[in-house]
Amino acid sequence: MDFTLSNEQRSWQMAARKFADEEIRPISLERDAIPTAAETWDSDIIRKGSKLGFRTLAVPKEWGGHGADFVSQALVMAELARADSAISKAFSQNWKWSHLISASCTEDQKRRFLPDFIADHTFVLGKGITEPGAGSDNRLPPDDPKAGLKLKAERRGDEWILNGEKAFIANAPVGKLFFIDARTDTSVPLRQGTTMFLVPRDTPGFRIGKVFNKSGWRFYQNGEMIFEDARVPHANVVGEVNGAVRKSGGAGGDTTGGDLFGDLELAANALGICDDACASALRHAKGTQQGGQPLFAQQMVQLQINRMHMLSEALRAFVMRVAWEHDMKIHTPNAGLAMNFSTDVVQEVAELYMTVRGLDGAHMDPHADKLVRDSIIWTHLAGDSVQRMKVARRIGR
Amino acid sequence: MYNLHLSPEQLEIRDTVREFGAQKIKPVVLKSDRLDVRDRTLPMDLLDLASRMGLRGLALSEDAGGAGSDNLTCCLVAEELAACDADFAAVLAETSWLAHVLFDQAMTAEQCDGFLPRFLADDRFHLAIAGGDGGARLGINYHRQASDIPAPTITATDSGGDFTLNGAADWVANAPIANVFAVVVALSGRRDAGALLVPADSAGLAVRAHDRPWRHGVAGRVTFEDCRVPRGHLLKDGAAALLTRADGRGIPLDQAINLGIARAAYEAALDYARLRVQGGRPIIEHQAIATKLADIAIRLEVARAAVWGAAWASDHPAAFADRSLPDLPLQTVAQVFVSETLHKAVRDAAELFGAMGVMRDMPLQKYVHDALVCMHGGVSNGDARLRIAEGLAGFRRSGNGAQVAAE
Repeated sequence: MDFTLSNEQRSWQMAARKFADEEIRPISLERDAIPTAAETWDSDIIRKGSKLGFRTLAVPKEWGGHGADFVSQALVMAELARADSAISKAFSQNWKWSHLISASCTEDQKRRFLPDFIADHTFVLGKGITEPGAGSDNRLPPDDPKAGLKLKAERRGDEWILNGEKAFIANAPVGKLFFIDARTDTSVPLRQGTTMFLVPRDTPGFRIGKVFNKSGWRFYQNGEMIFEDARVPHANVVGEVNGAVRKSGGAGGDTTGGDLFGDLELAANALGICDDACASALRHAKGTQQGGQPLFAQQMVQLQINRMHMLSEALRAFVMRVAWEHDMKIHTPNAGLAMNFSTDVVQEVAELYMTVRGLDGAHMDPHADKLVRDSIIWTHLAGDSVQRMKVARRIGR
Repeated sequence: MYNLHLSPEQLEIRDTVREFGAQKIKPVVLKSDRLDVRDRTLPMDLLDLASRMGLRGLALSEDAGGAGSDNLTCCLVAEELAACDADFAAVLAETSWLAHVLFDQAMTAEQCDGFLPRFLADDRFHLAIAGGDGGARLGINYHRQASDIPAPTITATDSGGDFTLNGAADWVANAPIANVFAVVVALSGRRDAGALLVPADSAGLAVRAHDRPWRHGVAGRVTFEDCRVPRGHLLKDGAAALLTRADGRGIPLDQAINLGIARAAYEAALDYARLRVQGGRPIIEHQAIATKLADIAIRLEVARAAVWGAAWASDHPAAFADRSLPDLPLQTVAQVFVSETLHKAVRDAAELFGAMGVMRDMPLQKYVHDALVCMHGGVSNGDARLRIAEGLAGFRRSGNGAQVAAE
């Protein structure tokens, strides 16, 4: 057992901490407070972070990325999230899909799409699975062919014609390239009849609809995608036709690409919120006087601080173990368990922070309020009963 | 003699208010542009309607022109209104409760003659109490004779015939819409805190509405700067104690509002679970969702028992004396249990909605926020626990803030 970080891992961690402290934290609350959902994005911070390598961290070195290992990725996500969870996610969302590109795209596809992604510091990626009528059914697909996503793709010569819509898609309003899951055989269940396509933003017949107005993760935009006879070349099929689920960690949750990283990602990001909450709660408890003594003198507050740190350190141990297992190519259900666990931890820790802060007159501290709102996002992404049963079924396999 | 029947009158008023909520309030407050917790305005027209139904004077005695409802009934109504909109419920609950305390108990006959006709005639005549929030957190002063429990922050100096008020009170419920304030003050030359009636248009009184306060209804900061109040506006002796209810046995109106919020979330989740099909059937038919809904129902039911118990106890204080009820501050007990258990219930309800549970144009995020406000607004649950614990330990704090200030 050796918990020492390598020099490279340590240096990514330090670079991320510096960028988070100097660039992200100063804009975090201001971005969170922007009332219009479509206006929260700041491509400037993406550009700055990209120049430091945080956008392309997971892209293999031979393609111009940094090829950082999973331990470094976990460290960077947590450090960035310590200053702003949503901004951290805006960077790591690209790693999720660059894992997918290296795992599943052909050399020709990499040649056509990766150089632009690498060169353009504001180029971000997204993936469309969820639809208004299909959320949990994509995560735990039933055998009924009618269940799950409905977006349809039909072959016409060298092209596929896509019709339908996606909802709640991260980066939809700001992304330049998307991976889209579509049904190519509606007579069989989702797992056997779904194909993944690379769809650039400027594809004819494809447009972005509304930007969803989330209560947490304000910076990290989420939108609707509308496909009306959208034409996608056959050369943009990722993997095999009807092979989306097997190849890619798309609908149904296979574990070779984005999905495996995604579990670690949410757990590592949650850890950043916890670190922020712990440090902020302690600072507040020591710096605020009540009845002539610091709040920290109170046993009630000490117990709250204890629980916050205890849970956060347990999460850190779990996150780093999962990252290490990924690097060692050890396949276990631990990533999923860590993701589920991170939901419970981040929500309890954020709420304890809110409790330690208490009310300032009639107002809640906007920082505590933000952390709680951000932490609530974990419920549907990482900790609802479907996400827990999915991991249980991996264990039971 | 254990009886949980509601009276025919209580059932009727509950049904009437529920119907009013479904027909009139929900269509307005559930519009997507009004669900953003950062941008809520009070529906004044609907408050007018509620006033004409008698809800503004619900607790005011029939002799004085009100409905004369008991505390339990007021809690039933608060829950029904809060199931539509917590702010709406909080505004009416505050005015109705204060109308009862002020007109039926604390005012002299002359004061009633002056203020009651205006209260009855104007649907937008609302009441507020300033300076009666019980002071600072207990915290470090738990189980100690603290020397620094603050006096009422507002002082009233006898200036020959009139009183001159100075000081300020924060997050005063109803402040931005109140026509008259009951102000709890440290009276110069007196041991006990006193209370004065101060019309909102008095010179020297200023109200600044709080933007997005962490409490339900509307709230504001009230400032008194050499504000002169006629001697005749001094409320009867003992009014300050009636207004501040520091014994933890007051009417659990805030907790009833909390119930309404959670019930709205529960009803939304139940409806949605019947409609939403995933995994080949309505999600209510899946074990994982069914047990979650059952948990929410359990939490609501047990919380309601705590609220009704505390409400009934506040209607029957003799039940403490004859040992029917435990020697506990039942409203404070309800506050802690209800806010924590219902917060969890609302979060579970929101989970059923997936991503829609966090969208600002959808109702669930509003219920989640409102339940969080119940947990953190006002006296914190940590402090509430300490107050209960002092009771358990038999600890009695000598004197009150006003005495300390006067001595």
